[in-house]
Amino acid sequence: MSEVVHAFLGRPDLNQVEIRLDSESREVLLGLVKQFRSMLIDDSDQSLERLYPPAYTKDSELNDEYEDLVHDDLLKEKLESIDVLEKTIWLESIELEDFFAWMQVINSLRLVLGTRLNVSEEDEFDFEKIHDPEQTLFVWLALLLEEAVTASNFSLEDFNKR
Amino acid sequence: MGDFGEVVAHRSWIAMMNPSPIETIEPAVEESSEVKHDQPWIVIVWNDPINLMSYVSFVLQKLFGYSKEKADKLMLEVHHQGRAVVSAGNRERAEFDVFRLHGHGLWATMEKDSSS
Repeated sequence: MSEVVHAFLGRPDLNQVEIRLDSESREVLLGLVKQFRSMLIDDSDQSLERLYPPAYTKDSELNDEYEDLVHDDLLKEKLESIDVLEKTIWLESIELEDFFAWMQVINSLRLVLGTRLNVSEEDEFDFEKIHDPEQTLFVWLALLLEEAVTASNFSLEDFNKR
Repeated sequence: MGDFGEVVAHRSWIAMMNPSPIETIEPAVEESSEVKHDQPWIVIVWNDPINLMSYVSFVLQKLFGYSKEKADKLMLEVHHQGRAVVSAGNRERAEFDVFRLHGHGLWATMEKDSSS
């Protein structure tokens, strides 16, 4: 069986995750989150709406109240996660808590890109046949997130022992 | 609606946000089905074409302390039926859950439980 090189590797013994991305991939992520931060602060791009979904769909008054209450907190959380990713991007191994911040950023990026690409349930992206840079990023981020879920699964083991 | 006390009460759940989300929930989880009729708000996760199935299951385990089996079952319900009720409680509790699901990028809403 050939050895698969994973982007991330869980280290339950240390409560850490090993980051095995090459420097080019780290640069790409850094570039992406830098743009993402500007977008979030600017807060005018329509695709960002996906990051702030409605809580109440049947009562606009309650929903306005909810959005007023949480928008800044959701934004702050994302900006903090971006800070964590930037600070830890060159490390070989990071704390699980910091890795969760990575996952939140990667997923948020996917949501924004996917919204922009108008991704539907039927879309199946074949890595080999994609030429559009945003589609390539979207698929790459999916692969990263999939690996991130696998690498951090050890953190959930306690729930499954009950 | 919207009085200051309520806002303060809601603020309190945001302030309560534990940086280690794994520890926050446990007690409410197993009770949810039993207390449903006293606490008539349900939290629904909706299918969306972007979130990965594995990630949705991961978030349900991480936030609610569900077993992989239960989280996978809910995730598949979302995927095949378009939605699944993932938690229930009073309004404040439900809003807190929705907020955390939104923080993790899931499409979640809340509504009064029509079956109660």
